[in-house]
Parts: sequence; C-alpha cells; structure tokens
Amino acid sequence: MRRLVLAISTASVASTLLMAAPHAPEAVKSFPLQDPQKPPQTQGEIVLTANNPGSHPRVGMPDFAVVGNAAAAEAAKLLADVLWSDLEYEREFYMINRKSSAGIPSAATAKDLPFAQWTQIGADFVLMGSLKASGATLEVEIRLVGIRGDNPGREAFGQSYKGCTIENARYCAHSIADDMHKTLRDLDGVARTKIAFTSDREPARMTSRPVQDSGQSKEIYIMDYDGANVRPITRNKSLNIGPSWGPDGRTLAWASYTSQYPDIYLTSLDGRPVTRPAQGTESIHNQSPAISPDGTKIAFSSSRGGRAGYLDIWVVNRDGSNLRNLTVDWSDSSEGAPTWSPAGNQIAFTSDKPGSNQIYLMNADGTGRRRLTFEQQADRPAWSSKNFIAYTLRQPAGHDIAVLSLTESAPRILTNGSGSNRQPTVSANGRHVVFVTTRWGKEHLASIDIDGKPTSIKQLTTVGNNTYPNWSPSSGR
Amino acid sequence: MKRVPAFTITLMLAAAFAACGPKKPAPGGPAPTPFPTAGASSATTTPNPPPPPKQAPEPPMIVPPDPGITSGDPLTRAAIEDINKDSPLKPVFFAYDSDVLDDAARKTMAGNAEVMKKYGTWVITIEGHCDERGTAEYNLALGDRRAIAAKNYMVTLGIAADRLRTVSYGNEFPFDPSHEEAGWSQNRRAHFMLTSK
Repeated sequence: MRRLVLAISTASVASTLLMAAPHAPEAVKSFPLQDPQKPPQTQGEIVLTANNPGSHPRVGMPDFAVVGNAAAAEAAKLLADVLWSDLEYEREFYMINRKSSAGIPSAATAKDLPFAQWTQIGADFVLMGSLKASGATLEVEIRLVGIRGDNPGREAFGQSYKGCTIENARYCAHSIADDMHKTLRDLDGVARTKIAFTSDREPARMTSRPVQDSGQSKEIYIMDYDGANVRPITRNKSLNIGPSWGPDGRTLAWASYTSQYPDIYLTSLDGRPVTRPAQGTESIHNQSPAISPDGTKIAFSSSRGGRAGYLDIWVVNRDGSNLRNLTVDWSDSSEGAPTWSPAGNQIAFTSDKPGSNQIYLMNADGTGRRRLTFEQQADRPAWSSKNFIAYTLRQPAGHDIAVLSLTESAPRILTNGSGSNRQPTVSANGRHVVFVTTRWGKEHLASIDIDGKPTSIKQLTTVGNNTYPNWSPSSGR
Repeated sequence: MKRVPAFTITLMLAAAFAACGPKKPAPGGPAPTPFPTAGASSATTTPNPPPPPKQAPEPPMIVPPDPGITSGDPLTRAAIEDINKDSPLKPVFFAYDSDVLDDAARKTMAGNAEVMKKYGTWVITIEGHCDERGTAEYNLALGDRRAIAAKNYMVTLGIAADRLRTVSYGNEFPFDPSHEEAGWSQNRRAHFMLTSK
C-alpha cells in the first residue's frame, strides 16, 4: 500500500484540534454525567421524560450568575447563549427569547425567582446557571426550576459540570445540552458533532491551471454543527471535494486533485499519515468516497475498469486490500455517489441507466439492485442512520432536497424551491439536514429540520462558496 | 540580410550545376558556360565548384542551428505556466448536457493536433468542464466524457494516446461565473492544458 503524505503539517492539524476542542478527552473524563451530590430529581406538573413527547415545556433562561473575572463573565455569557441555541435547535424545549426576558430581575436561588414575571411571559420552567471560576477552570451548575403550580421553585433537574474552561466554553455548553437532552428527553443530541465541507474561502491559485478562469483552490474544512469554529483540514492548494466522516468522528476520506487527478485520500484528525486506499493513477480516477458505518471499508466511484468515460461503484478495505467493482455488469451506464445503509449491508447510489440520474440500492456485495426514485432526476443520496434517504431532486423549478422513507412510497420535498438546494447530509439523530443552498447568493450551507419547517432553516456559513457537506456520525470522543 | 555560411553557397552552386542536367555539348564547342549564381565569385570559370573555403580566414563561425528547431520560437523556451496563459491549444465547446463534438470542435482540434505534431514532446491534459446546472456529481461524470471524447478524436488525428491525459473538473471551475447562457456556454468545454514539454 502506497503511503502519501500531503502537504498538511501534522502539528498544524493537531493545533487546530486544540483550538476546536481543547483537552476534549480530559473534559469527558472529568465531566461527570452523574453528580454524586446531585439532589434527587423531583417530579413537577409537566413531566420531562420521553414518555410524554407531546409536551414541550417553555423554558426561560436568565443570565448566568458568575463568580470570577471579566474573562469568566464573557465565558458565562457565551456558554449561556450557546446552550440556549443548542436547546432551541432540537425543539424539545421551547426556549423563550432571551431578549424578551432580559428585563426580569435575576435571582440568587430558585426560591427567589420572580415567579409572577416568568409566568407572565409564558415560562413553565427557568433554566438557571451559575459559573464559578478558579484559575482557568470553571465549575458550572445548571438547574431547571418549575415556575407554575402550587410549588414554584422546585427543581426538576440539577447538575454540576466539571472540566469546563474559559477556552472551551462553547464545547462545554454543547456537552451540557447533549446531557440535558439525553437525561430529560432520552434524545441523542448532536451539539458536539461537526460538519466537514469544501470551501473556496481561502483561495490559492492552483498550479498548471489557466489564470483566466476562476481556478482557485478549494480545501476541506470542518466546523461545529452550528457553523462556529471553522478550521482547515487540507492546505494543498488544489481541488479537494466530497469529505466523508468515519464512525469514530475523527477519520475523514475525501477526493483530492493534488496529484493532478482525483483520488481518494484518507486521514485522521489524530494526525496519522494520509493514505490513498483506492490507488488512483493518472488514468484511474476515484472520487465520491463513503466510509462504511463500521469504519472498515470505503465505497467510491471509479473510472477503473469498464468503458472509458463510465464510472462504477467500487469498495476497498480501509487498508487498501480487497479492491472490488460492484457494478461491473452495468457497462452502459455510470454509477456513483454511494452511501451506506445504517447496518452497512446495503449501498444506495446514483445511476443514469434509465437515461436520467436516479437513486438505486443494492446489497453491499453488488447483488439485488432495486430502483428507488422515478423523478425527473435524483442524485447524491445520503442514507440516514434512522433509515431514510435524503437526496437532491431535480424538478422543472430547479433543485430541492427530498427525503425518501424506505417504508413509505412517496418522497417528501423538504426545501421550497427558494434558490438551488443540493447535497444533503443528515444528523446522526435523523432530525436535521444540512445542505448547500444558493438562496442567499453564493453557495452556503444551511440546516433544516426533517419536517421541513421553513422557520427551522439556519444559515451556517457566511463567506466563500461552500459545498459537499458531510455530518460526523459521532462527536469524536 | 541573414549571413549565409560559405559552404552553403557551395552547396547551392553544386545544386545549381546538378540542376542543369546533362546538356548537349555545343557541337565541337568548349565546356558549357558557367551557370550564373548570386554571390558567386568571378573566379568560378571552371565547371568544377570551388573547394569550400577554409574557416581560418573567416572570423570564428558559430555552428549553425539544426534546421529542425527554429531558435526564434518562444514556445520552446517558455515555461509551461506562461504557455498556458496564452496557449496555442484552443478549447472546444459543447452543447448543454452533451459530450458530442460538433464541426467547430473538430476543426479546432485539427489545429490542436498540428500543434501537438509540431511540438512532438508535449504532453497535455484535456480538462472536461461543465456549466453549473445539474448536480456536482453528475457534472464530474459529464466532464469526464467530454474530455475523453476530445482525447479519442485527437487520437484519430494521429496524436499518441499517451500524450493525452484527461481529467474532469465538473462544474468546480467555471471560466465565466455568470448565471446565464452566455456564461454557461463558456463553461461547457474541453480545455487543453500543457502538462510537460
């Protein structure tokens, strides 16, 4: 197996990791999910469990109480804002706009809360936070306090968190949100996951390409799921597209033209050497990688074998062994854009066999092919771990994101035809889709909820042209 | 006027004499009159061409260039990057969603083939490009087919296949970023890039 080291400084990747989520392993270890001194969880009028999913309690959030210097106060403000956004994102709690509650006086303890004022703006619960700095570390305490009924001020949820620092205040808030969602709603939150994507936001001129076109480089970046902490992964001044995360949330595969032709590159955020398992050459081109759910295999599209100009779906083990063609018998059509089923035993892909691009699925050994879409054109499937497939739908009006449940027959269209909407990727909990949209001018990444609610659309990028998003299946801990 | 080395004049004279062919000798007459040539010295009154003059009386002479390579051709000296900025190889354009070569494309590639024959060591990469309609993935495949279609035609014009690489950039690098047909038509192309000389 050939090993190729790209022009990525291992140190710079490691240092960007440090900035993105410093001391993440230590934060997890000292980040107690169960505080041994936590007061017992009490039941309130509104039961905060997944057994009652119809109830979405309305939660107000005053400023956090802070013991510490100005930097700690800044961290507390950031932590509260990020936590509010993380909770609002999953729509399990209806988060009351913090500006509209800004005038309500703060309270030192739950019993001192001005219940009447919180009731008046509609709160069922108040999320109180306190933050105490000692040196660079922060101790954070969260309490969810009931407002209504005959016993206002009783605590429905309380938790202390260690392992937060001023530098990782964002990551700390994400961890708290995930913990609250898991504990109170039995929901796997995605606040600590990342989006990998392609961007031309720092263009360099690619060598041996003409100057008169917009032939500027496109690199791979990662960012937090909410668009913060954008960090470069590649810096090879070439075209880098189509990143795919491995299940550990740290492995990344993508297609790069850094050798003057596209091939699959595999790297890890741990800084291990880059490899090229698909073994491309100047006459064998590989792209569209998808790492299997168990992390052992990579599916991709290749010009290897077959007729010139026609692509096939190939699979290779992560170490470069057992390279095999799954669609060799479909020699008159191009197959590409593979995506794995959650169990890893099937692959959905795009084929132009019927004369237009449509989505098919097959077993992971290439047998049992079945056509899934009958649209004008369908492309680029993304198979969610919750067992539905999001894809790019081409209609006369343009491109939109559609979702196909494998149990229902009719697909649902998620976006509403505003701009061109393509290349969906689904969150690990199946509740959100990130995609590329031109509705704000350039190519930007946006998030939409799986019910397609228009007010759930959030803009994630603001600079450059950003494409090929891929959502990490886990938070990489 | 370009300086013509002396022995070249000698060769010209020799050719001139040879071009005369066998002439009928004048009846009973002497040897044929000398063939008039430009630059010939008045000493050429014999039928034999004068011997090539020795180099010694001349100033030191530069070895003349091999006529196969014209030293005045900037393309032999220029860097690949500079050549690609204003290339003798021209792009060919395609209709929407098509990899079919039309007459204009074939004519352009006939010109490109001449360039490739003139510079017999050049290796080029034919890039396939698409406009922004269609998905990125679809356009990567279409760009491939456009580049390969152009390569195959160049091969029929006599260019060795191993001098013609292909790559597809799909719609990633539009030559014209505008979002209408005037721009799109510029982006549906096979672009010929010099890769090595």
